[in-house]
Amino acid sequence: MSKTNELPMPKFTKVRYKAWALDRMTPSNEKTENSYFLSNEQGIEISGISTTYYQLDQELIDQGVILMSVIDAQKKHSELFERLRGQVVFDETDQLTYQNAHQFNTGIFLYIPSHVTVHDVLHLTLNQLATSEADFVARILIYVGDNASVNILQTLNTIGNKVTKASIVVEVIASESSSVQFNSIDALKENTSAYINRQADVRSHAQLDWHNVAFNDGQVVTNLVSQLNGENAISHANVIAITHKKQTQGFVTKVINYGRHSVGHIFQRGVILNRSNLIFNGVGKIIKGAKGSDAQQESRVLMLSRHARGDANPLLLIDENDVTAGHAASVGRIDAEQLYYLMSRGLSEKTARKLVIRGFMGDVLAKMPTKASKQYVIQAIESKLIDEDK
Amino acid sequence: MTTLKIENLHVTVADKEILKGVNLIVKTGEIHAIMGPNGTGKSTLSQAIMGHPAYQVTQGSIYLDDKNLSEMSVDERARAGLFLAMQYPSEIQGVTNAEFMRAAINARRDEHNQIDIMTFIRKLDEKRAFLSMTEEMAERYLNEGFSGGEKKRNEILQMMMIEPKIAILDEIDSGLDIDALKVVSRGVNHMRSDDFGTLMITHYQRLLDYIVPDFVHVMMGGRIVKTGGAEMAKKLEDEGYAGLRDELGLDITLTDEDAD
Ligand SMILES: Nc1ncnc2c1ncn2[C@@H]1O[C@H](COP(=O)(O)OP(=O)(O)OP(=O)(O)O)[C@@H](O)[C@H]1O
Ligand SMILES: [Mg+2]
Repeated sequence: MSKTNELPMPKFTKVRYKAWALDRMTPSNEKTENSYFLSNEQGIEISGISTTYYQLDQELIDQGVILMSVIDAQKKHSELFERLRGQVVFDETDQLTYQNAHQFNTGIFLYIPSHVTVHDVLHLTLNQLATSEADFVARILIYVGDNASVNILQTLNTIGNKVTKASIVVEVIASESSSVQFNSIDALKENTSAYINRQADVRSHAQLDWHNVAFNDGQVVTNLVSQLNGENAISHANVIAITHKKQTQGFVTKVINYGRHSVGHIFQRGVILNRSNLIFNGVGKIIKGAKGSDAQQESRVLMLSRHARGDANPLLLIDENDVTAGHAASVGRIDAEQLYYLMSRGLSEKTARKLVIRGFMGDVLAKMPTKASKQYVIQAIESKLIDEDK
Repeated sequence: MTTLKIENLHVTVADKEILKGVNLIVKTGEIHAIMGPNGTGKSTLSQAIMGHPAYQVTQGSIYLDDKNLSEMSVDERARAGLFLAMQYPSEIQGVTNAEFMRAAINARRDEHNQIDIMTFIRKLDEKRAFLSMTEEMAERYLNEGFSGGEKKRNEILQMMMIEPKIAILDEIDSGLDIDALKVVSRGVNHMRSDDFGTLMITHYQRLLDYIVPDFVHVMMGGRIVKTGGAEMAKKLEDEGYAGLRDELGLDITLTDEDAD
């Protein structure tokens, strides 16, 4: 671990997170028999370091699909796992990637061979057991082969309420002509300070879309990156976030166009309540030679409290002439006229706000792949609003 | 029967007194029209009744039956039976028209007696068809990208869905083509009953050919200066406000004094 000191901390512009001490973690070995969320879905649930739920169609197993905890993967498919790991998020990028690479002791491995289509939504549920003071250090590694396709719902949850830290690194390889819908709901609890880093290697003619619902209650920095490494690679990186109470959530959402005619769109929507902070950094980067590529981004923040702080910082870094690019960013308050209009039809202020917020986040909400996940998002918006003293 | 009773109402906007003692009684079963020059305070009156926070009541009172509206929030007034079709309806992204109307209806019902989705859809389809609105309108975001005429029609659709006791229609006819004017009028006439009263603000006598009022009021300089029957609107159309002002001997400057 000597190296950690030489590497920089990752950069989250305008987010002050040093005091969270995310570079010092002690991985937890908490185990359990309980599964907390899944009961008859396709997928896997990992709680602490235990696999507490597993279900995968025999047909998929026969086609060579691998779904298991990283602990099992390191035993049963160690060569494959080690070959793929660290290809998208390099171990030595910064202190936090280095730390995760050397300390993770739980997580999920998913391998989908070429030409395999997974029809059902695949649930990847990762639960931090905050029942001791130790931290949660997890890794998710996903390989999707050529022409394969999958729709994933990955959730992050906290069980228990001890004061802890968490580091979660997710690597996705979307091989040529594959299609990946990566939906995630981050719902870590108030006492967990976390670093989340999701990155995808999107190869030629592949499409990978993120729909990230960032509804954590604690202090969190999130890095979401699509590397468009092949010709015609496409990625839409969509994020919705709510911050409340005194929490801070900071984001760097980034798409890098390496491939010709690659398309990267960032879309972020955030709502800020109480005394919380929400910072969206959007980065669109086009590398020289990525002719005909497209980088667009839109980040909007809605402040529902006078004491809140919000930022939306767009950044376009373009080294190629033959491209299209654009950005829009805004930080606004809920429009008093809109609220008045809704209330003049009899809606209480609370209901009116809820409708406006839900509407504000509607595009990503609509993309949630299951009824349960949609319902969760709606429910979570309501419960965060309840805490708002108005 | 429900009565909206406005007495000696004074209203200030941005530190300027706009209404200077309005008296008006609207009962269910009655149709009232208010006419008057631009900037005279007609919308101010409607916003003050609804409770827009920018409009301060400094004197006088507004009662809906025995309820003192000044003590009620905007949404409470709405649930008590008031409705305001606004001159400039807001656009709200992300909230569909249908979702909004259902929420508005449910806000009037108790938690255990919410309107069931089929009943709601049937009602919406019926009213929508009555107003010749497309099915797609219901699923569009609230007023977003609606044309001026579509917004007005949508205000009437909301009114028909919510079924208020007293509706204030602020220039519901402005920007409507002839056919749309007929459709919107049909909507209002359809509501006409002993349980429904309306106060229409308009600049054009033409609307009153379709929705024949029981009373016409003229507002000038922040007061109602004259009240008459439907025939008064015709006379105004011919003689203009300056004629009426001079006839009444009022000392008011009209914005477009030198227009003709
Ligand atoms: N929110 C506001 N802020 C500042 N001034 C206002 C506001 N609302 C109304 N006023 C002013 O009050 C006066 C009356 O306006 P109001 O909208 O009530 O007129 P109106 O009779 O409805 O006119 P029109 O026929 O043009 O609709 C005008 O001078 C207007 O500029
Ligand atoms: Mg007006």
